[in-house]
Amino acid sequence: MIFSSHLRPAWLGVAVYLVIAGAALVALLGYASPSDWGRYLADPYTWRVVRFSFTQASLSALLSILLAIPMASCLFHRRFIGRQTLLSLFAISMVVPTIVAILGIVVVYGRNSWFTSLFGVSFPLYGLGGILLAHVFFNMPLAVRVILQAYQLIPDAQWRLASQLGLSRWHVFRLIEWHYLKKNLPGLFLLIFMLCFSGFAVVLSLGGGPRSSTLEVAIYQALRFEFDLNKASYLSLLQVFICSLVALAVYKLVPAIRQDVSLYQGARLLMRSSRLAMLVDFGSLIIVLLWILPPFIAIFAPIVTPLFWQTLWQSDLWWSLWHSVRIALPSGVLALLIGLSIAALARALRWRRGGDGWAQKLEQSGNLVLMVPSLVLATGLFLMFRNIGISIKHAYWIVVWVNAVMALPFVLRAIMPTVYQQEKRFRHLYEQMNVVGLARLRMEWSQIRSAVAQGLAYAVLLSLGDLGVVALFGSKGLETLPMYLYQLIGSYRVEQGACVAVVLILLCLVLFSLINRLIGGRRVVV
Amino acid sequence: MSFKSFALATTALLATSLVSAETLTVYTYDAFASEWGPGPKIKTNFEAQCGCELNFVALDSSVGILSRVQLEGEASEADVLLGLDLNVMEAAKQTGLLEKHSVDTSNVTTPGGWNDDNFVPFDQGYFAFIYDSEKLATAPTSLKDVVENQDLKVIYQDPRTSTPGLGLLLWMKAVYGDQAADAWAKLASHTVTVTKGWYDGYSLFLKGEADVVLSYTTSPAYHIVAEGEHKYKAAEASEGFYPQIEVAAVLENAPNKALAEQFMQFILEPGFQNVVATGNWMYPVMANVDPLPEAFTSQPQPTKVLTLDAEQVAQNRQAWINEWLEATTH
Repeated sequence: MIFSSHLRPAWLGVAVYLVIAGAALVALLGYASPSDWGRYLADPYTWRVVRFSFTQASLSALLSILLAIPMASCLFHRRFIGRQTLLSLFAISMVVPTIVAILGIVVVYGRNSWFTSLFGVSFPLYGLGGILLAHVFFNMPLAVRVILQAYQLIPDAQWRLASQLGLSRWHVFRLIEWHYLKKNLPGLFLLIFMLCFSGFAVVLSLGGGPRSSTLEVAIYQALRFEFDLNKASYLSLLQVFICSLVALAVYKLVPAIRQDVSLYQGARLLMRSSRLAMLVDFGSLIIVLLWILPPFIAIFAPIVTPLFWQTLWQSDLWWSLWHSVRIALPSGVLALLIGLSIAALARALRWRRGGDGWAQKLEQSGNLVLMVPSLVLATGLFLMFRNIGISIKHAYWIVVWVNAVMALPFVLRAIMPTVYQQEKRFRHLYEQMNVVGLARLRMEWSQIRSAVAQGLAYAVLLSLGDLGVVALFGSKGLETLPMYLYQLIGSYRVEQGACVAVVLILLCLVLFSLINRLIGGRRVVV
Repeated sequence: MSFKSFALATTALLATSLVSAETLTVYTYDAFASEWGPGPKIKTNFEAQCGCELNFVALDSSVGILSRVQLEGEASEADVLLGLDLNVMEAAKQTGLLEKHSVDTSNVTTPGGWNDDNFVPFDQGYFAFIYDSEKLATAPTSLKDVVENQDLKVIYQDPRTSTPGLGLLLWMKAVYGDQAADAWAKLASHTVTVTKGWYDGYSLFLKGEADVVLSYTTSPAYHIVAEGEHKYKAAEASEGFYPQIEVAAVLENAPNKALAEQFMQFILEPGFQNVVATGNWMYPVMANVDPLPEAFTSQPQPTKVLTLDAEQVAQNRQAWINEWLEATTH
């Protein structure tokens, strides 16, 4: 069954993915000589860094999720002016270039900031506080959107029943919503944990000194400054090992998840509001707005300056925009195809004797790329292509593929819950009627299109925001918007760089809503 | 048209297309190749004399150039590497991928003259702490002032990830020697943050996050020439400045070696040297150039230049970085 012909394309997709990810690792591990690793293991600084990263990443993930849960509930149940704008902003916070986000946060919380002039005291920005501030800014919006997706899986009937019984928001949350949310939380926690555990520009800039660091700083140093591939592969393995331990622990801690059969989705019925519900909704909205909006206002501020309009006249801006789109769209589509392949195999394996574990492994294999630093993945691929004699002239396709692989975890997070739900719902029917392959997709399309659109949109956005991969392979025709931005900032033109950042963010907004409109259809709640 | 003339015409066409297809590929860092950097002018000037095409491949940093070549190995398509600096020269030599040059560097104005088989310098500057003279009443006049004044908020770059950061590491070593660890600890107690790259640190400084930031003596010249802003100044350093010299080299397997050699000669000619000051915001390395704008000549000129031996740097860099880490994280 699992090897039947209609699943062949899916196998191909998964195989391509595994080959790319595996080959990159193998290429790099080829340079490893574990005999030296004892020396590295003894380095006390590495362990201090690991401890610090662990703390800051756990706190960032917990804080993001704790804030995101009430926020998502509020956004689902209430309609208010600006809700749609807020949701769009949430979609793009992740791709704001780090330096731009940091400068935005500095305008709000730094020495001469709005915060200081408002309260008269300065905010203790540099240190753990600043790191959490920035990481929650990047990731809490992502968490809200992922959780809102889970809301879409709750069947109409349950809302109707709750409404008829006159349940309060708190009861609805405890009896219905939590039941659906909790399945998403472990994966979401891991996603944010890994993003915070590895990325390092934020940690270095706002960390206040080398006490705050991540393993990737050492990996970057080993790869770029020392060209010590052995050390780089040791450090990457260490990172993969630690992240895997965390992943194991998270999945062990949570009870086994049972998939529900649910019917029809996305309806919204009015729940009985109580004073408590009002208070929680209002409170979480205020906290989130205060956290997210001021830096965004600071980031968008250049739009009112004449420099912004001058920047729009630069032909280089439009060239780099074109290069960005030319990379991001195909790589988003590839990421979606690989994601759908994994999904197709996983759903075929799920609920089969002995297949459940495999389905999960398949799903989690997508997360592996998050554990491996992007620079390592890109370097490994570079070496692999060199070894098999593919020249850097094909850099365009390499960049497209690497970006596609890097976006996979986000695509999977967006589509898997919906796909599993469809499988559970129609499995027996499909088997009786022998509905396979594309026929299933056609039948399910109206149900899954919003999740598919969401996955594609995230992949495209991530690729638009990428810098590490494209910088390593950099060549003619690959000067993307983020590269243009860093070029400007790298030659004193910070203000103009900020203008380019606005263009990048607007582009993200446009593509995100276009993809969601065209593919997601009208029934999108988020 | 007879067959013969047709053949001739085709050959002529082919020949011209071959000649015009002769391209020189130069790996450099992004700011150098950007439209406002020195790249475009240098391209025009060089193409006018060589009748070839000069192609810049922009990588993310000067270290990025080296690691790209290390990754590509002998298969690299680059002819010339433009934009490595003093501190990665030794590492670049150890790759064994470099060719010796035949450029006469006897007139080069770098401190102590220039004598290197592989590298030709193309511009120079000095690391310095930049301050805003409207905000800082008493400016530091030495590295010691910066290190010891506990009220001075300092931003510098990480020596593990950035070139100026590494420059400061060597500057501290040259000034403090065995006492460097103590000095780092003193500096750490009033350091705002240590950033990944030059641009993060410098833009945080421009937002007012620190009193001084590590950059180059020539940074104020940018603000004067490009923005008409005179408030940013480079702090004097009575112990002496640590130099930053940017260099170029030819690859041994350069696809177009003759052109590469021609370009190396060109580096020290006015067509190149006249562009670096207001293009790259660095000083030229030759004396026979157009007079520099006043913004450059008004900056602190080093009375003394500190340098550490390149080999010593290569051998001890990791140990010094560890010393810095120990001193600043305890």
